[in-house]
Amino acid sequence: MTEQIPVTVLTGYLGAGKTTLLNRVLSENHGKKFAVIVNEFGEIGIDSDLVVGADEEVFEMNNGCICCTVRGDLIRIIGGLLKRKGKFDAILVETTGLADPAPVAQTFFADEDMKRRTKLDSVLTVVDAKHVLQRLEDSPEAADQIAFADVLLLNKVDAVTPDELAAVERKLRAINPFAKIHRTERCAISLDKILDQGSFDLNRIVALKPEFLGDNHHHGHDHGHDHHNHDHHHDHGEMKHYHDENMDSVSLSTAKPLDPGKFNTWINDVLMSKGPTILRAKGILNLADADARYVFQAVHMMSEGAFAGPWPAKDKRNSRLVFIGRELDAEALKLGFASCQMA
Amino acid sequence: MSWALDAYVVGAAATPDSRYFVCSLGDGTVCVLDLTDAAAGFKTYDIHKGGSLCFAPDIEAGAHLTGGDDGKLIKVALDGATEIVADLGRKWIEHVTTHPETGFRAYASGKEAFVLGKKKGDDPRIIKLETSVGGLAINPKGKRLAISQYNNVNLYWLAAKEGLPQALPWKGSHLHVTWSPDGDYVVTTMQENALHGWRLSDGQHFRMEGYAAKIRSLSFAKRGQYLATGGADTVICWPFTGGGPMGKAPSEFGGILNGPPVTAVLAHPKLDAIAAGFEDGKVIVGQPGSTRVMPIVTPAKDQEPSAVSVLAWTPDGDRLLAGTEAGDVHVVDFRSLS
Repeated sequence: MTEQIPVTVLTGYLGAGKTTLLNRVLSENHGKKFAVIVNEFGEIGIDSDLVVGADEEVFEMNNGCICCTVRGDLIRIIGGLLKRKGKFDAILVETTGLADPAPVAQTFFADEDMKRRTKLDSVLTVVDAKHVLQRLEDSPEAADQIAFADVLLLNKVDAVTPDELAAVERKLRAINPFAKIHRTERCAISLDKILDQGSFDLNRIVALKPEFLGDNHHHGHDHGHDHHNHDHHHDHGEMKHYHDENMDSVSLSTAKPLDPGKFNTWINDVLMSKGPTILRAKGILNLADADARYVFQAVHMMSEGAFAGPWPAKDKRNSRLVFIGRELDAEALKLGFASCQMA
Repeated sequence: MSWALDAYVVGAAATPDSRYFVCSLGDGTVCVLDLTDAAAGFKTYDIHKGGSLCFAPDIEAGAHLTGGDDGKLIKVALDGATEIVADLGRKWIEHVTTHPETGFRAYASGKEAFVLGKKKGDDPRIIKLETSVGGLAINPKGKRLAISQYNNVNLYWLAAKEGLPQALPWKGSHLHVTWSPDGDYVVTTMQENALHGWRLSDGQHFRMEGYAAKIRSLSFAKRGQYLATGGADTVICWPFTGGGPMGKAPSEFGGILNGPPVTAVLAHPKLDAIAAGFEDGKVIVGQPGSTRVMPIVTPAKDQEPSAVSVLAWTPDGDRLLAGTEAGDVHVVDFRSLS
């Protein structure tokens, strides 16, 4: 089996602090060597042959899937980097502040060479605590970047009051129910909290449980204070739906086992018909007659699923499924999910 | 004979006198093997600060060009002497191709391609493109340059200093590009496991699909009667006689059903035969339509499999070099096999 190099995608609006973080990754002694793909050399303080400029070329794939776009320049650059075996341990890809993260993420699923030689580790979004609410008002990309993230670095927390910070964090949690959120000043964070996260590794999605929808008791109070929030749910409910003008998230759960055939048909139909509006989906599912947990994830129309080990003995076998996207029909998703449940 | 050069074999070529094999590697070195003293092994020269990304014989017999991620296109002589042909700073030189008979050299970096004529000291012609270059190929007569990119292939007259190209449009990302030996067909490999081709004489174009894997290599038979390609578990050969491949089925040889895909193909310089390398490191020589396949390299069972990344024949056709992504290089002398 070919060794797969982990790739972290770094997004965030202009001025959020991406360059600060990049310079830290490049200069700090953390025992790992990174190849870094930047969109501009501008403020990168390090001159290294492992820092490469990208052109941000988004290509459509001719596979009949309209939302299937990839970054052609990344395929070329990473292909070139991979010929230098042993010179680096991981790759960090910076996107421009205006970039849609989907083509970057899809590159690692749609291109065969990338799939074979690399593994997408996580999408890391740096958010400026002071300005993010304004950015969400004036630019759709800001919501995309938050919705897409596996890890949110809530930066510049020293520039806001505790109340403002709590409001920002509620908003982030509402847009993206599964990301880990870390509060930072000047992006000061231990790099092991943001690198090597395994966010796209089906076997490790299970380990993301605390942030992943999971703990309704703790996160329940995060909802319901926002006037946009249509939260119907507390600890016993089956659906949690957040909606505003920027982004929807729909979280579904059930204690009833799912019919594997019905679930498969339904989820494929949802992705085929609604894929362009679904940014990310993740699920941990209890399929009838299966002892192992079935783990599922999707980026737009691209999806993968696999059994990922047995249910922990103490856990309830609750199926959980989260969709993040635009203009999601929460009721239809709820009904569809319910129709997959065994009687 | 086999050697472990320990870095991705990016390019390989034999000198016109069939005496030397020269390779460029992912660690930035160029390695030279004198076939009259193969037991002495490869001589290694450090050329690029990073790695080599592309490689071609230079227009001067015996010398070679390597382009690297240090932004340099470097001419390397057999004794390791170097001359910097181009320096683009932080940009990578990703493609290079040459036509020794007419003296043209072309190279590319990102969205720019450059053409150098035979005359020393002239500045290169710079061709600015809308999207990045996927591949470069000069036609057999040495008059035209094909540049593949996103959504089209453009054909430029090499001798012209300016002028609009002839565009061959087709939606999608075009990667490798090649010409048929008669210069009438241009064929590209695409991002989506397919080939696209154009017949220049009447503007017809065609698509060849059904590949299980990305097509990383393609090679026309010496006389142009078929085009051999990788990307499947057997070597796929499309007929190019009698009006081209439109509506015809390919013939195939070698490989195992659902086995590892073919990653490199190269037509023999004289005979009707194709060398093919696979993702598991295996190398064979065969003919389309024939079940007789000659195994050339069979990787040891306990060895980590590594895909064949390059193949090179000596011009006399007596020897074949196969290099892998892991840096293993095999040279086979066919005269000793018969």
